[in-house]
Amino acid sequence: MVLAQLGGSISRALQQMSNATVIDEKVLNECLNEITRALLQSDVQFKLVRDMQTNIKKIKGKTSVVMFVGLQGSGKTTTCTKYAYYHQKKGWKPALVCADTFRAGAFDQLKQNATKAKIPFYGSYMESDPVKIAVEGVETFKKENCDLIIVDTSGRHKQEAALFEEMRQVSEATKPDLVIFVMDSSIGQAAFDQAQAFKQSVSVGAVIVTKMDGHAKGGGALSAVAATKSPVIFIGTGEHMDEFEVFDVKPFVSRLLGMGDWSGFMDK
Amino acid sequence: FSSMFQSIAGKANLDKSDLEPALKALKDRLMTKNVAEEIAEKLCESVAASLEGKKLASFTRISSTVQAAMEEALVRILTPRRSIDILRDVHAAKEQRKPYVVVFVGVNGVGKSTNLAKVAYWLLQHKVSVTMAACDTFRSGAVEQLRTHARRLQIPIFEKGYEKDPAIVAKEAIQEATRNGSDVVLVDTAGRMQDNEPLMRALSKLIYLNNPDLVLFVGEALVGNDAVDQLSKFNQKLADLSTSPNPRLIDGILLTKFDTIDDKVGAALSMVYISGAPVMFVGCGQSYTDLKKLNVKSIVKTLLK
Ligand SMILES: Nc1nc2c(ncn2[C@@H]2O[C@H](COP(=O)(O)OP(=O)(O)OP(=O)(O)O)[C@@H](O)[C@H]2O)c(=O)[nH]1
Ligand SMILES: Nc1nc2c(ncn2[C@@H]2O[C@H](COP(=O)(O)OP(=O)(O)OP(=O)(O)O)[C@@H](O)[C@H]2O)c(=O)[nH]1
Ligand SMILES: [Mg+2]
Ligand SMILES: [Mg+2]
Repeated sequence: MVLAQLGGSISRALQQMSNATVIDEKVLNECLNEITRALLQSDVQFKLVRDMQTNIKKIKGKTSVVMFVGLQGSGKTTTCTKYAYYHQKKGWKPALVCADTFRAGAFDQLKQNATKAKIPFYGSYMESDPVKIAVEGVETFKKENCDLIIVDTSGRHKQEAALFEEMRQVSEATKPDLVIFVMDSSIGQAAFDQAQAFKQSVSVGAVIVTKMDGHAKGGGALSAVAATKSPVIFIGTGEHMDEFEVFDVKPFVSRLLGMGDWSGFMDK
Repeated sequence: FSSMFQSIAGKANLDKSDLEPALKALKDRLMTKNVAEEIAEKLCESVAASLEGKKLASFTRISSTVQAAMEEALVRILTPRRSIDILRDVHAAKEQRKPYVVVFVGVNGVGKSTNLAKVAYWLLQHKVSVTMAACDTFRSGAVEQLRTHARRLQIPIFEKGYEKDPAIVAKEAIQEATRNGSDVVLVDTAGRMQDNEPLMRALSKLIYLNNPDLVLFVGEALVGNDAVDQLSKFNQKLADLSTSPNPRLIDGILLTKFDTIDDKVGAALSMVYISGAPVMFVGCGQSYTDLKKLNVKSIVKTLLK
């Protein structure tokens, strides 16, 4: 249990803070640094997104392929469109490929989202082999000079080996530049084992935590970060396309520790 | 060596400090099994209260006394106080020539629509006729998702596309089901966060307007501490935001994704403890047959292992 190991250092840091008579920015920052150090010591790589190599870089003439993986219902399909839309606004030419041939209505969902965001999409109602669709989709969009091809996949879990094998095959066939593990912020103790299993099957390089507009603190996400040794790059904060933020460690840690907003905390 | 005596044979009466180490260990164990912290704490408190002042039977250890008391408490909590027999109630409704209406509610992505289809399949196995009502009029692909299940199961679906008021769509679906003689209407709803007031208000309107026979809360076994907040807030919002003097609350729980959690079965306990509602079905896979009943004994055994 990652959090239990972290517990000691974090509560020490907090203890120091509550011993201080006046809580100002300086004390707060010290506390935050302590906590960040504790997280790092547990292989939790909390760095800000700007110094991350996992961020897809735009290279002229080169196409990046990004594959989304995760447990059932974690928010992959929704987040694919958010990710595409975010990069589209930054001048990229994204495209979406629906390699989920399992879930009822999966292609319709991606299609409707993509249409709303005016992003080209690829998928099939007839074909049942996700590997085939993924390859066709990636090839099609490479020809059309898209520079960011996003592959959505079915939800899966480690207990079903065949599902993991399928994911491995999609990854092998499309050779993604980045595999993003999408995780629901409300997940509990199963987070670590599941995330680790994903990492062992495909080379997860980044994590996106969804549904942060809910009430959950996102502690399970910490486990996922530790298990995949990959940073959180974005968070999802709602069902709409633009409810998507670059991950920032400060509000995340303060929420995790149940302290609310730092600003609100300082007023007390 | 006094501590050794204490742990084997009956000293006088148990007091709090005797119990604390064993309770602390038990609480930690429950939490690693994914029981919400708040629930594990409350359980340990009530076990402590039940044991304090009691005499320790000779030749028993404190830890096994605590364990036995906990086991008893867990069985009591997980055993439904009110049992709901859907098939019996469906037949009762049929005699009154009314369809039996079930509304599936819950936060986003937990498995409402998929498990609605599994329940439909289960009802069909029992020779009960079903209509599906596509009242998630918000999420992309939600209507097509339900339509796909309806086609595969060959049952009628009532749908009005997107952006319609789901409360009205449900009402029309029930009218349609009454006309076509369906025994049951299964109402799919959009996922919503428990703190999202406008969405919770819309849900409470749907429930108030249609007064279903069963409000089924769908929650996933993967959820951690948030389980407590989800159930208590759904109940609270359904009560506060309803315009009815006797608002409907959660009647039962459908626990999904049970196949993804190994021995971390604690969400079942958190959900039942906080709501007092029984787990009526357990979803344990992605095909129609993956719907089971909760086995209280095995859950308790796993929690204490
Ligand atoms: N409130 C909220 N809802 C979200 C967020 N991200 C996704 N959702 C919702 O979560 C539900 C599941 O999202 P999907 O994108 O379908 O999840 P998925 O991982 O593709 O699901 P599968 O393909 O079935 O495994 C949908 O109702 C989404 O609208 C978020 O950040 N906040
Ligand atoms: N492994 C497993 N997956 C499940 C189970 N029940 C549902 N799922 C999967 O979970 C994902 C989400 O299911 P949905 O039925 O779309 O969930 P929902 O609650 O209707 O989602 P929204 O309507 O978007 O809020 C799908 O990929 C389902 O196949 C289950 O018992 N076990
Ligand atoms: Mg999906
Ligand atoms: Mg649904």
